[in-house]
Amino acid sequence: MAAPSSAAHKPRRKTKKTATYDAIAKPEALVRTPSFPLAAFLWPARGSVSQWEVLPLILMAVGLFRWAAGLWGYSGFQAPPMFGDFEAQRHWMEITTQLPISQWYFHDFEWWGLDYPPLTAYHSWLLGKIGAIIDPTWFELFASRGSHDPTLKIYMRATVIVSEYLIYIPAAVIFVRRYSRLFGVAPWTAWVALVAILMQPATILIDHIHFQYNTVMLGFVLSSMSSMLAGRHMWAAVFFVAALGFKQMALYYAPAVFAIIAIATVISFAILILPIVLGTLYDASRGIDSQPDLDGPHPPLPIFPQLAEYLDTNAIYYPVVEQLVQMVHRVFPFSRGLFEDKVANFWCAINVVIKMRKYPAVLLQRISLAATLAAIAPANFILLVRPRKQLLPYAFAATAWGFFMFSYQVHEKSALLPLLPMTVLLAGNQGLGKDIRAWVGFANLLGAWTMFPLLSRVDLKVPYAVLTLLWAYLLGLPPTSTSAYFQEGQSPWLQWSTAIVHGAFYLLMIVWHGLAQFVTPPADKPDLWVVANVGIGAAGFMLCYFWCLAKLVQESGILARNASQSPGGNKKTQ
Amino acid sequence: MTEIHPSLAQCAVVAAALKILLFPAYKSTDFEVHRNWLAITHSLPIWDWYYEKTSEWTLDYPPFFAYFECSMSQIARLVDPAMLRVYNLGYDSWQTVYFQRFSVIVSELVLLYALQMFIDSAHGTSRRAAQAAAISILLSPGLLIIDHIHFQYNGCMYGILIASLVLARHKSGLLVSGLVFAALLCMKHIYAYLAPAYFVFLLRTYCLSPRSIYKIQFFNCVKLGSGIAAILGLAFGPFALKGQIPQILSRLFPFSRGLCHAYWAPNVWAMYSFMDRLLITVAPRVGLSVNQEALKSVTRGLVGDTSFAVLPEVTPRMCFALTLLFQAIPLTKLFLWPTWDTFIGAVTLCGYASFLFGWHVHEKAILLVIIPFSLIALRDRRHLSAFRPLAVAGHVSLFPLLFTPAEFPIKTVYTIFWLMLFLVMFDRLAPASNRQRFFLFDRFSTLYIAISIPLIAYCSLVHGVVFGNRYEFLPLMFMSSYSAVGVVGSWLGFMGGVFHVIDNIRVVGQDCIEK
Repeated sequence: MAAPSSAAHKPRRKTKKTATYDAIAKPEALVRTPSFPLAAFLWPARGSVSQWEVLPLILMAVGLFRWAAGLWGYSGFQAPPMFGDFEAQRHWMEITTQLPISQWYFHDFEWWGLDYPPLTAYHSWLLGKIGAIIDPTWFELFASRGSHDPTLKIYMRATVIVSEYLIYIPAAVIFVRRYSRLFGVAPWTAWVALVAILMQPATILIDHIHFQYNTVMLGFVLSSMSSMLAGRHMWAAVFFVAALGFKQMALYYAPAVFAIIAIATVISFAILILPIVLGTLYDASRGIDSQPDLDGPHPPLPIFPQLAEYLDTNAIYYPVVEQLVQMVHRVFPFSRGLFEDKVANFWCAINVVIKMRKYPAVLLQRISLAATLAAIAPANFILLVRPRKQLLPYAFAATAWGFFMFSYQVHEKSALLPLLPMTVLLAGNQGLGKDIRAWVGFANLLGAWTMFPLLSRVDLKVPYAVLTLLWAYLLGLPPTSTSAYFQEGQSPWLQWSTAIVHGAFYLLMIVWHGLAQFVTPPADKPDLWVVANVGIGAAGFMLCYFWCLAKLVQESGILARNASQSPGGNKKTQ
Repeated sequence: MTEIHPSLAQCAVVAAALKILLFPAYKSTDFEVHRNWLAITHSLPIWDWYYEKTSEWTLDYPPFFAYFECSMSQIARLVDPAMLRVYNLGYDSWQTVYFQRFSVIVSELVLLYALQMFIDSAHGTSRRAAQAAAISILLSPGLLIIDHIHFQYNGCMYGILIASLVLARHKSGLLVSGLVFAALLCMKHIYAYLAPAYFVFLLRTYCLSPRSIYKIQFFNCVKLGSGIAAILGLAFGPFALKGQIPQILSRLFPFSRGLCHAYWAPNVWAMYSFMDRLLITVAPRVGLSVNQEALKSVTRGLVGDTSFAVLPEVTPRMCFALTLLFQAIPLTKLFLWPTWDTFIGAVTLCGYASFLFGWHVHEKAILLVIIPFSLIALRDRRHLSAFRPLAVAGHVSLFPLLFTPAEFPIKTVYTIFWLMLFLVMFDRLAPASNRQRFFLFDRFSTLYIAISIPLIAYCSLVHGVVFGNRYEFLPLMFMSSYSAVGVVGSWLGFMGGVFHVIDNIRVVGQDCIEK
């Protein structure tokens, strides 16, 4: 492993680096050989290599995979009448650039009405304005619906990548650095973790292939987490509100965030909605109606109709109230069912046994609320009692898993939310050790697998297979390798149970792929494979939830006294 | 010897993932060319292969490649029989795309095997360098752009070339090396450009006695001669029996083409044409005569059949003479010092000479220079400093092959990634030369590399914004002239390395001073 011998020849530029290299190489030499391929790829970067050489290469490599993945089709490609997520995002660029601000949330709901919080709207507006410079026909009102101009596709793909490189990737780089320093993890290990995080298959599949801007929201969440690590609570709140304002799904993390910083969040939120409030007032003063299609008086408020009794509908503030209520109404679809498509969460899985739809919506809402609160309570309680920075990812992951499993109207893409904080664990203490690698890998592969029905609908099986297998290969996970199991120094009972449980799930996933590909389900159960996917996924996610919770308990040391008495008791929860 | 990380196979797996993701990318007419060849070789009797002309993309590779296509078509039949119909022009169902793209990836296993042979043939400290060089070839942006996006089977054939080069490293492999090269020639005749180096090397090391060049090893000559004859017979024999050789030759060597390809390959003739364009504006003032007819074609931009307005015309004969002349120089050295390193150097320089002075050279032919050069680029810093501008220029000159916006980020980012990774890594691995370096040569090469960034920005972005669709030839002309400077510069640097006359004097001088 020594540098090429230069005894015979004098190197022209005898850098000091070579001198330090050997000094560092000695202790590193004790660190065996790389235990999985990703570590092997970064192996030459150990030692003296500066981050300014490694980081650009990493960012270019992950960017290449993203762009290449983007060459494949997107959701709803040439699939009239409604197209898909791609059309939704394009349509929002159309309405935000073409309509006055007060009409954004009132415009035609049936055709992909704007149902994301205002930051998404502002983001769409900006991208729409820039895109219109290149080709104004992309975002013409009404006329552009369902456009599948190939250049538009390239533009939209580029906007996802640019947004990601401006928000998610800097956030990930900074977070990984701060979090790994917290544990005194070597920078080289942090690079490995960074690549693993940036190559997460589910994120690339959903954002760069299927098409969405989740990484913007996830990037804000990561920024918020790294601000918390740095102790900058104000910025943590600002970033968190930005995440929330970009996609309401960030609410999954909200309890964990509120457990730490409440007031700053409220103020940031006020700033976030300011443009839409001011815009509404401005439009109202100029007589621009928010619902120009209506002839008669405005309908009552869609939710909280009792508010109208206390308010003067002609007062100057009324349009603002109406606007905000409408926004909340759009963003939080309580009017829809407990779950929409087949999602690998608790409700959808239990639905196989007990048909949930026969119960009244209000009851379901209450049960779901109670279950969610019960699921997130332990993690947040621990965070309140032991607000230690090291615990953040565990707490975020456990809370988000709780929401994903039990809350109302969950989408399969929401699995990205718990996956992110779980994956960043790779940068932490023993992150690349077998235990964490096995569990993080399991969650990610399972997550990508539950998205398969969504992806196969638009014929994205090939990029799905490539990206998930690539990630599994890089991290040395099943089905490519079993190197992540049987760590030395762990109780054999625990090792075997982890290996067997994971092995069973991986086997099920492989068998499922075989069945879904080659066997048509029986005629009376056309959804059989999807339901099986949901059931297995929900069970696996439940395990991930318990693992995060157990690790949180273990790392927080809350049960330290108990644990010292009965070490097995703590581990049983795993 | 400890294992060096990452291994070649690991890189191949990750590269394959990227290549599969690139399946839906742009594909050039070469895709249809190869589909058509699949169809011809599958559905027609062998005697019609070189006569069939339903498609304009007639079979113009030697017979071994046709056999290769024929064997692939046996699998293609199971995938989608419709792609094997000769009249099915432009057919590209997704099965066809998957099959053809995948066949490129699979055929690249030959390259992988050859590179592993290369690594295994290196010992001691040079093993690390050999592994770096092998990975750089495996991940070459040239192969990615040409094979996996544009569409061709170069990876497989360069694999055969490398295998042949590596076999020549040991005395026991010389015969096989020569035979493998002969087989390669029967697969794609472009490698004939490198044949002189093989000829000289095998002549000197295999056919002549190592002690005296006047002693001929007759038994070796017979083995080599009969082996080559057998391979040629296998390839061309069936056709020769039917008297089809003239027809095949007319397909393989279409001499009716012009000096420069539609897009100028970055060689001496590109610089010559560029000078001509410049002189058109200067000539009236200096009193030179301008050929009005050529001027008309000049204003049309880059056309297949370039004619010069001010400078004298170039004939194929002149190209041939110049090529041979500049091949002769390294070959003389090879004859005198027949080591493996000189051999690879001579192969590289033969590639250089034919690329720089050849008639109707294609820009893809730059791989003929880059790939053999990669094998010895890490020998010392002198080699590396000549390799650096070549790596930049050679790969940048391939950019115009892909002109669609979707592939723009791939080709640029991938090439920058590759250049950054390997130039930094090579810099660490290359030992210092025991000779003085060229005065300021590497300063120039740094400047040269720096210029590429604004140039790419101009050609791909600024030009389109400022001029729209007008003067479309301008970016291409800049690109190829720029690349030509790099290729010629690196050639001069490498030739200088081979004939270090000045250096020897300097070294001797220094030794005297030190003493």
